[in-house]
Amino acid sequence: MTLTREAPLVTTPVVRRKPRTRDGWVTAIMVAPATVLYIVMLIVPVGLALYLSLTDWDGFSANPAFVGAANYVNLLDDPELRRAALVTLLVAAAGTAGLNLLGLGFALLVNGVSRANTFFRIVLFYPHVLSALVVGFLWSAILGTTGAVNNLVTTWGGEVLPFLSDPTWATITMIAVLVWAGFGVNVVLYLAGLQAVPHSLIEAARIDGATRLQVFRNVTLPALGPSVTVNIVLSLVTLLKTYDLVVSLTAGGPAGQTQTVAYLILWNSFHDARLGFGSAQSVLLMLVTAALAFVVTRLRRRGELAVHQ
Amino acid sequence: MRKPFLWATVAFMLIPLYVLTVNAFKDQQDILANPFGLGGLTLEPLGRALTNPQFNVVKGYAVTLLFVVSVNLLSVVLAAPAAYVIARSPKRRFRVLMLFFLAGTFIPGQVLVIPVVYVLKTLGLMGTIRGFVLFETVLTLPFSIFLYAGYIATVPAVLDQAAAVDGAGRLRTFWQIVFPLMRPAVATMVILNTFSVWNDFVNPQIILGPGSGLYTVTTGVYAAVSQYSTDYTVVFPTLLLAIAPLLVFFVFMQRHIISGLTAGATKG
Repeated sequence: MTLTREAPLVTTPVVRRKPRTRDGWVTAIMVAPATVLYIVMLIVPVGLALYLSLTDWDGFSANPAFVGAANYVNLLDDPELRRAALVTLLVAAAGTAGLNLLGLGFALLVNGVSRANTFFRIVLFYPHVLSALVVGFLWSAILGTTGAVNNLVTTWGGEVLPFLSDPTWATITMIAVLVWAGFGVNVVLYLAGLQAVPHSLIEAARIDGATRLQVFRNVTLPALGPSVTVNIVLSLVTLLKTYDLVVSLTAGGPAGQTQTVAYLILWNSFHDARLGFGSAQSVLLMLVTAALAFVVTRLRRRGELAVHQ
Repeated sequence: MRKPFLWATVAFMLIPLYVLTVNAFKDQQDILANPFGLGGLTLEPLGRALTNPQFNVVKGYAVTLLFVVSVNLLSVVLAAPAAYVIARSPKRRFRVLMLFFLAGTFIPGQVLVIPVVYVLKTLGLMGTIRGFVLFETVLTLPFSIFLYAGYIATVPAVLDQAAAVDGAGRLRTFWQIVFPLMRPAVATMVILNTFSVWNDFVNPQIILGPGSGLYTVTTGVYAAVSQYSTDYTVVFPTLLLAIAPLLVFFVFMQRHIISGLTAGATKG
């Protein structure tokens, strides 16, 4: 404190100006590189995405032609996109439900400090460390028509199970693998939320004769409110951009039935060289994601308020 | 009830890893005949995967490691000083700059892939290591700056003032006094960036492209496995080689990795 108070007394205005301009330069050197790179490679691209979505860019030409809203009009009656949107919403909805039910359920099961619980948490979490690409290839080697499980089934005289070769099965398999690979993160997040639930409240309820289920429903769950919101929004946002796993698990098949929107965006852009159209799709995906995250947060907040009233 | 159920879940989580590991040491016939058994183990498939002309795993490790190290170094060198200025300055413009960076954490990668190709082409960096490393680094900046600025705010400013009184300039004050204290925050970011760069598939696939001949572990796995997905003597050893370093790293550092990756999961 004395330092800051004494400093102005000893420095004359002339001496002060010099370090100040030098300080200005040093500050610029510290901030500018990050800022410039961030603008060039993150902010400019976002603007470019909007611009490119109004052009017919093929990825090669230097000045793509402006086509107005044509890409957006086209994507409204694109049957492929409609199907992909349906798959994506299904994956996001069912996946979010699975991730959060398992996440919260297992968080309650492995809550508390013990060696066994630490081990359980590690095992539940580990698939998140692997790339989605590897997870997909691994599960397709296990569940494919000639995969490990079907080998076992046929040796025992059963019929081949179409985990990945039937559209409905493949979609369910994909959701299951996404949940398998991801719910460990939700466990850890819910565990963090559980530490914030006041222990005295739970004890008081127990003393008043509440059953375990009643304590969970009336004390723990309401106190976990914000945690639930974070987990749901996070799962939704992550699942809406599912891409790597589609590539490796099903390659979009059978017959394109498990293509997600993200898969279609990259396919249209880099396989069909329609980057303008792909941009329009990605802008749409971004808007839908933002809108859904907003709606969920809003609904959850209203629910939380209702609990407190 | 609780314990048996948890152990059953553990089995369900680990069986894929078990299948991957044992079958990496079998030939096709043994895999098809008995995918869960331990019979007929051989090192030959693993050896072939190591010398696969489609994908040189050792080179893949080297390339990926080079990317991981460069992105981490560049990210710290760019983000830490910027975060320091933002955290220490009371000026309005730096608070606005913080919000500006924070906005970047909300931009989904999917939206960026296509226009970044345009930007990199314009700059002549498309298909180059420099372009890829720069883009991956930029992706780490928003969250790094957010995390570092929050951490620096907890470092007492008296330290800076003491250094200034002793005649240290701003740069020196930062790198010699404040930066060494940021170790936990930097460690979290390094873990996060290491996994996101190592596991990234879309960006190296598109920015580096097959034409460059540069494969990371993920794009290499894709090149080696996707066309031969029923030749299990290729699939299992390649996948095992791809995940082994990460799993070893995870086992030794699990506490830090879980907290680091969880911090990253909530950044969006």
